[in-house]
Amino acid sequence: MIRVLRLRHALPSCLISVLFFGSGLSISRAADFELPALNAPPSAEHHMGKMVWADLVTPDLAAAEKFYGGLFGWTFHSIRAGSSDYAVVMLDGRPIAGLMEKVTRAAEHHQSAWLTFMAVGDVDGVKRVAVAHGAKVLADSRNYPMRGRQCVLSDPQGAVFAILASSSGDSPDYLPVSGEWIWSSMHAKDAGADAAFYQELFGYDVFELPSDDGLEHLILSTDNYARASVNSFAPGSSRRHPHWLNFVRVGNTTEMTAKVIALGGHVVVEPRVDRHGGMLAVVTDPAGAPFGLMEWSDSDTKAEPK
Amino acid sequence: MKTTRSRLLAGGLGALIVTMLFACAVNGVGVDSTVGVGYVGGYYEPYGYDYGGWGGSYRVGPSRCCEHRDDRHDEHRDDHHDNGHADRGRGGHAPAYRPAPAGRSAPSIPGRSRER
Repeated sequence: MIRVLRLRHALPSCLISVLFFGSGLSISRAADFELPALNAPPSAEHHMGKMVWADLVTPDLAAAEKFYGGLFGWTFHSIRAGSSDYAVVMLDGRPIAGLMEKVTRAAEHHQSAWLTFMAVGDVDGVKRVAVAHGAKVLADSRNYPMRGRQCVLSDPQGAVFAILASSSGDSPDYLPVSGEWIWSSMHAKDAGADAAFYQELFGYDVFELPSDDGLEHLILSTDNYARASVNSFAPGSSRRHPHWLNFVRVGNTTEMTAKVIALGGHVVVEPRVDRHGGMLAVVTDPAGAPFGLMEWSDSDTKAEPK
Repeated sequence: MKTTRSRLLAGGLGALIVTMLFACAVNGVGVDSTVGVGYVGGYYEPYGYDYGGWGGSYRVGPSRCCEHRDDRHDEHRDDHHDNGHADRGRGGHAPAYRPAPAGRSAPSIPGRSRER
């Protein structure tokens, strides 16, 4: 009887302890995930609508590190992302992307993918504009101490993308080196409507380019630099889903495509000459995440537009 | 006495539930169950779609500086700017976006090399 009474006395204290422990655990979970700053030292530049980061979600982080490390010479810095493993991709000592392991159930089918992050100055302001124009919030705005504030959205046609207000500014507009992101293309059912959506968000100038395929191909630019293209779906398949596709600069697309295959990846679009006269290809990593390879010689940009 | 203890217990349990809900909200679980606790980032796409099958003339890259745009609609664009008529995009329909001013060429990507 005395034991029961003691237990009753102790129960409220236990509950309070659990409450504090739970709060502490929650705070420590949020705090122990520290993404590196995009720019060190910080940049004073801001480039609205520029692709500044990409996160790969994959079921096998070790396999992804082996593939991308072997392909591009990327190195990795592992950090713990709460319940998931996360590796920051480094190139020439700079963080350029992240790999995130997210294990799925055997019966579930998910498409491993690269998530494209676009630079903004005000995440919540841009999020409001996006939602007002038909976007959905997939992961709400959140701060990361060194990184800044970010949010994941899907556009009105269903393509997933993220916005990031970097607390260390945006990287200056340089020609990317080999192994670095050089280009992003958007593939949509209605390219014009999607261009209009992103124009509302990022203030892009929109240019329609001549095409031989009768499809709509648009260039989005800010600061008088091309930032991305928006393209109507290629014909030939009804199984199309709107998506962003990011390209890595390479020295030789054909050689790199062979390397992709040797490392366990697949070729989705064979190497071909694109608009700038250089080659590009679309491949997937061993988990199926698509990305592009693009050649760009130093002389491809004939003159500085600024 | 018994009532006081019951109230204390109920209050404690209530606070615990509120704390747990708050923890879930802070960690993003309540918003996006596909993202691991502690990070708003990686996102799986729907499965079973085609990413290839591009035709030979399907071009998605940037132009060299500075490629002339498709000016088939510039006449209409000038109409729009000069006379307030509806602008026309591909297929004769008014584009949903605001086209860049007529006469401007599509820019290319940055060409300046990073100092290493």
